[in-house]
Amino acid sequence: MDDHRQTSLGPDPDLRKEAAELGADPEMIELRAEAAASAREGRLPADQDRRDQELQADAAAAAEQKRQRRYLVKALLRSPTFMIGLIILLFWVFMAIFSTSLTQSYTAQDAMSSLKPPSAAHWFGTDDLGRDVFARMMAGARTVLVIAPLATALALLWGSIIGLVAGFWRGLTDDIIMRGIDVLLALPIIITSILILSLFGKGTAIIILTIGILFTPVVSRTVRAAVIGEREREYVLAARLRGERSSFVMAREILPNIMQPIIVEGTVRLGYAVFTAATLAFLGFGLAPPSPDWGLTIATQRVFLQIAPWTVLFPALALASLVVAINLITDGLGRTFSK
Amino acid sequence: MSTVEDPQLSGDAAALDVRDLEVSFHRRGRRLPVLKGITLKIERGQAYGLVGESGCGKTTLAMAAMRYLASNGTLDNGRVLVDGQDVSELSEEALRKWRGGKVSMVYQDPTQALSPAMRIGDQLAEVYHYHEGMDKKASLEKAREALRRVAIPDPDATLRRYPFELSGGQQQRVVIAMALAVNPQLLILDEPTTGLDATVEAEILDLIEELRGRINAAILLITHNLGLVVRLCERVGVLYAGRLVEEGPAKQVFTDPRHPYTMGLLRCVPRFGMNKTDAALQTIPGTLPALGEPLEGCVYSARCPMARPVCMRREPDFFAWPGDGPDKGRQEAEKLPPDPAAFSPHHAEPVGEAERHVRCYFCAETPHMPHMTPVLATSLEERGAHEADVLGIDHVVRTFKDGRKQLTAVADVSLNLRKGETFGLVGESGSGKTTLAKCVTGLIPPDSGTITFEGGVLKSTAGKRSREALRAIQMVFQNPDSTLNPAWSTRAILTRAVKKLGGAKAGSVRAKVDKLSADVRVEPRFLFQKPTELSGGQKQRIAIARAFAGDPTLVVCDEPASALDVSVQASILNLLVELQTNEQTSYVFISHDLAVVRYISDRIGVMYLAELIEVGAAADVFSPPHHPYTEALFSSIPRLDFEEQKDRIPLRGTMPSLSNPPSGCRFHTRCHRFLGDICVNEVPPDQDVGDGHTYRCHIPPDELRRLQTAKDQGPAAEAEPATAG
Repeated sequence: MDDHRQTSLGPDPDLRKEAAELGADPEMIELRAEAAASAREGRLPADQDRRDQELQADAAAAAEQKRQRRYLVKALLRSPTFMIGLIILLFWVFMAIFSTSLTQSYTAQDAMSSLKPPSAAHWFGTDDLGRDVFARMMAGARTVLVIAPLATALALLWGSIIGLVAGFWRGLTDDIIMRGIDVLLALPIIITSILILSLFGKGTAIIILTIGILFTPVVSRTVRAAVIGEREREYVLAARLRGERSSFVMAREILPNIMQPIIVEGTVRLGYAVFTAATLAFLGFGLAPPSPDWGLTIATQRVFLQIAPWTVLFPALALASLVVAINLITDGLGRTFSK
Repeated sequence: MSTVEDPQLSGDAAALDVRDLEVSFHRRGRRLPVLKGITLKIERGQAYGLVGESGCGKTTLAMAAMRYLASNGTLDNGRVLVDGQDVSELSEEALRKWRGGKVSMVYQDPTQALSPAMRIGDQLAEVYHYHEGMDKKASLEKAREALRRVAIPDPDATLRRYPFELSGGQQQRVVIAMALAVNPQLLILDEPTTGLDATVEAEILDLIEELRGRINAAILLITHNLGLVVRLCERVGVLYAGRLVEEGPAKQVFTDPRHPYTMGLLRCVPRFGMNKTDAALQTIPGTLPALGEPLEGCVYSARCPMARPVCMRREPDFFAWPGDGPDKGRQEAEKLPPDPAAFSPHHAEPVGEAERHVRCYFCAETPHMPHMTPVLATSLEERGAHEADVLGIDHVVRTFKDGRKQLTAVADVSLNLRKGETFGLVGESGSGKTTLAKCVTGLIPPDSGTITFEGGVLKSTAGKRSREALRAIQMVFQNPDSTLNPAWSTRAILTRAVKKLGGAKAGSVRAKVDKLSADVRVEPRFLFQKPTELSGGQKQRIAIARAFAGDPTLVVCDEPASALDVSVQASILNLLVELQTNEQTSYVFISHDLAVVRYISDRIGVMYLAELIEVGAAADVFSPPHHPYTEALFSSIPRLDFEEQKDRIPLRGTMPSLSNPPSGCRFHTRCHRFLGDICVNEVPPDQDVGDGHTYRCHIPPDELRRLQTAKDQGPAAEAEPATAG
């Protein structure tokens, strides 16, 4: 990298010529030449060596940047909030992918050993059909870790587009969009999703779409606020003076500068999406048995809460740990970046 | 370190006594030294100015004196004594009482110093209640008195108001009243007038000057404006990269600077009356070292035109001047061994009782510091001004809605601009300068009136304008931090501009970008960086390059150098002049800094309350006969010259509202040459002085000339430089 720059700067320029071009007066040229000459002998940085110095400064700046980035990563790694959240999340992601080959079968029924308390054979006990609660708890991460992130991603995508358009155009467009958003925001999320799911049937894809749509208004409000803060900034005005299309200004000029609020909004929504997905499953609008989904499991097992609390307790714990982990990550990120 | 009190005051301690102070900040795991070896003393009742560019550590010094350092700042060495009390020895509780009791501070932005949710009266009364334990009634009475002291009209009404109901100048008065509430020993003013309009700034300065006679507080004035120090302070300290480089009586330091940095600062500010065709501005090459950058030798050596090898090896002491400084400096420089390794480590500063100190080996030679001579502007004729008008603004009106009120930001303004000419637009904030500029560039469509460009009528918004019109009219914005998209690399910014405006083919885009960056003197290596990694001056250079991407005919510059330090400002102004000389570009140049506008403009227009009240050649507008408002503006500039302080013409009252401008002459509510009913009832005519110089007033030119020249006592103050005519 440095070598490349050095060659691009060309050979060492004649100091006097350079100074004369700058229009310096002769006395100064003499002084500088004198300083440079004696500096060269003493191998000291002087005016003539300024370019080398600048290259060094440049390298130092690059190093400093790298150092800062490393510092941020280190600070994150040292932040207990972030690390605990990350470890829990990674654990669930790992389990969602690999648990089926690591644990007992989560579907194998054993009528003989139904509702057995935790034991060596069944660490977290068994449910009413004699299925292993531990295996089901681990496998249950899969559905929620598919539904919640995809729904959040959809909400972010739509919300960003709507927010950008409303915030950038303002005026009548903004009024119409935002009144629509207000109406959507007034709808209770669970009841509306139940309505949609009753109309269009159940299924992972429909659940994802439903949660995505219902989270879009909140995201679009956040994005719109960020866009309004950005659109009067001078670089946007400069783009308008360049004759850029609105779509270019929105996507290329403004969007990269509002990624931070969008990411924060995304992590917050992710936590809510997990909850919403579990709630819908609990209410019977998610996946059908024998899916090991946590919300569904809690719903089907809750009648045994008094005689076999482990059947409900462990999936509930799993759900709580995932939501807490996501919130910890959000907090950790926020705190480290604001330092 | 000596702890002997000043013998002259027979045991009385100095108001502020800073000894060998060292402060550093900790950022992302690194220790960054900010202040080093600062020793200064402010006697009671004295005013001390602290100057230097941003990032020199001025505010940090004030914060250290208040013991208000940010949580990541530490006092590594040295002591701060305020009125004999060591600040670091105070307990938290004592500190609270001490701040506001013994020391108080006025910050730059009055809106942040006042609580927006509390009435002025309650905020002021709280000070008396807390510090003197007065009851509510007594403290309110004291608050009223305090407002009277800072000459706020109608103190009773002001007590009941909220901060947002007051103008910026009034708010700053309240903040000063609050700072003076408990008779502090030391009053710290941190850029007290930055951000205020020229006439308001002058009012606040008058107030401070007048208060100095009545209070016994010592003043520490922190500013980048050397003119303020000249007006208010007996002594001045010049700070550079956390080091005091020069210190002494203000008059001596500014008339006979001995540190190359002081000299550089003084040379790069345009003196009022200077024009670009007379002399180019001096600049200080290079930039301030970054915080915590390891510095070998003299802190200023990297930018000093007088630097010699010895300067880069070992830091000079704080030599007394004129005493033994000159000889001692040279001797020390000569006797230094050639081997850098043999240097002794830095020792304590030999600060004696001398009047002046300079941290330079060659302070004897500073008056002969070499000049840099950048390109001088060619005359208007050579720039092609004899050709037809480039821009014509014809009866342009623009109104904004504020709730139910109609605010007329531009009221029927007409003007024209010739090729290669710079038209300077001056006026206080809210006068409509920027709105007019945005009408020209098409960012704001005018309500009525036409704007013609090279003979054709321009479309009202940029979106409707042809590619050719967009290319030809560009704009340079004020804020270097938001003018460039922080997400793009500098090269991407310029490349996009060249592609959209230059109409260049793919192969030549790169070449054009390289040429642009060379024209604005930005080294190629900076093109790979994001704007956040560039200095303010570099950002503004890139912004200028972007505006010049399509070889524009007209560039609107909205305060392009106002947010920059003076040395950077000078280089940006030089750059604009140079580009104009080479490309014959026309400029509309907006600034609140009259000396800058006077320097760069060929013609000047003065705006007051949305109207253009005076137009004329740069030299004519600022000499009689001119509009009474221009006269008042002109008189409010703080000058650097000690002899030429003019009597300021105070403006009455405050700026009227744009939604309800005064009848007749808009300036009549504040005019010091108010004639009577005619000013109230009749819109004044545009008086023609000749040579295209007109002003809007009822007083005819001959009469006005007689009035305005008679008022000026000293003939020296009146004389324009010989070149002006």
